[in-house]
Amino acid sequence: MSRRHRSVNGRSAAAPRKKFSNASLILLGLILGLAGALYYAWVVAPVVYVDASPSRLSDEHKAEYIFLVSQSYAINEDWPLAQQRLAGLDDPAAVQTVTSLLETYVREQRPSDHIANLAVLARQLGGEAPVIALFAPTPLADEPPTATATITPPSPPAATPSPTPQPTITPRPTVTAVPTSIPDPTAQPTYRLLNQQQLCADDASTPQIEVVTLDALLEPLPGIEVLVTWDGGRDRFFTGFKPAQGEGYGDFAMTPDTSYTVTLADGSPEISGLRIESCDNGEISGWRLTFQNLILQPESPEP
Amino acid sequence: MSVSFFIIFMALLQKLLLLILGLALGIGLGLYLGWVAWPTEFTDANPSILVENYRQDYAHMVADAYAGDGDLTAAQQRIASLGGNSQAFLLSVTLDAILLGQNEAEIRRLVRLSADLGLSSPAFGPYLSVDGDAP
Repeated sequence: MSRRHRSVNGRSAAAPRKKFSNASLILLGLILGLAGALYYAWVVAPVVYVDASPSRLSDEHKAEYIFLVSQSYAINEDWPLAQQRLAGLDDPAAVQTVTSLLETYVREQRPSDHIANLAVLARQLGGEAPVIALFAPTPLADEPPTATATITPPSPPAATPSPTPQPTITPRPTVTAVPTSIPDPTAQPTYRLLNQQQLCADDASTPQIEVVTLDALLEPLPGIEVLVTWDGGRDRFFTGFKPAQGEGYGDFAMTPDTSYTVTLADGSPEISGLRIESCDNGEISGWRLTFQNLILQPESPEP
Repeated sequence: MSVSFFIIFMALLQKLLLLILGLALGIGLGLYLGWVAWPTEFTDANPSILVENYRQDYAHMVADAYAGDGDLTAAQQRIASLGGNSQAFLLSVTLDAILLGQNEAEIRRLVRLSADLGLSSPAFGPYLSVDGDAP
């Protein structure tokens, strides 16, 4: 009796009505529907793209796509086609993307031709990162006109050695030099010249030939024998004996009116015609040569 | 009593309808958000989703890369990533290139890849008989 009375009593029935008002019911339905629909749309039946452009590819496949563009460009040298392909990625920062991929390839020690092709692609896109300049260097013809040295094919070293004129290297026991070897003129160079720079020192120090040797991954490479020849003389030194200057650094003092030729004993282009010259600021200059080893070594050396 | 029951029934029905209305609105909004505004970002979308001309171009690039590095296993995997009957697709791309008289060097690279993957066609003959820039 009292229950029935309560059920029809307006005061008692108002409680559930307040608890579930019209607005709260719509809101409850909205939330439930929204949650269910999002689960369905994102998990059960997500959008499947078909007839898509490369911009829809996963990051992994985008990287593969860029790699294929670089390989194809290396083969056909069709730059407009390569640009058109890259445009399909719809990536406004394509230069950074390609450069980043190049750095990844270097870290992963991918084959050198893959790295070089990717670097060329990045360079063509206008990339200016150091890694691009090192793996896809601009031809020496574009160097400043003050550079007078030329690259000539390898030739056997001078047959008659002569005494060292001005030794400047102080050997330190921390670095072990590799045995002397005679370059084979018929072999492919193990090193390539990455950079040739005229050094215009502000102080009155003796002009010198500075050589920096790097491995394929651009890390300093000590213990590399450098051969220096000049008219009537020959000398050699090793990189790595001046760690303060860098582990791959070595230098050789120059004398006036002498033309030097530098090559690496393990095989590199001969850099000839290196002589003391005057800089724009009136100082006399030496030269810095940077060589890169072309052979990628495995990450962990074999026992 | 029957009037009271009817009133209660109508009140419940009204609430049920409001709940259904909310659900419908929520479902509509959810599907719009999930399929249009914020669709799922795929993390494994492969070249099989590409539109036809991009798939063909992808096959061309795979052939170019194979001409460069000679890595048949990698080339096979790349062609397979195009999905479906990828070998038949490569064959059709190669034959299209021949029939459309595309760049001969490009045709030669496609033919070389197709032949090395075990595909064959009488149309391949002229492009296999002369040494080109094949790997």
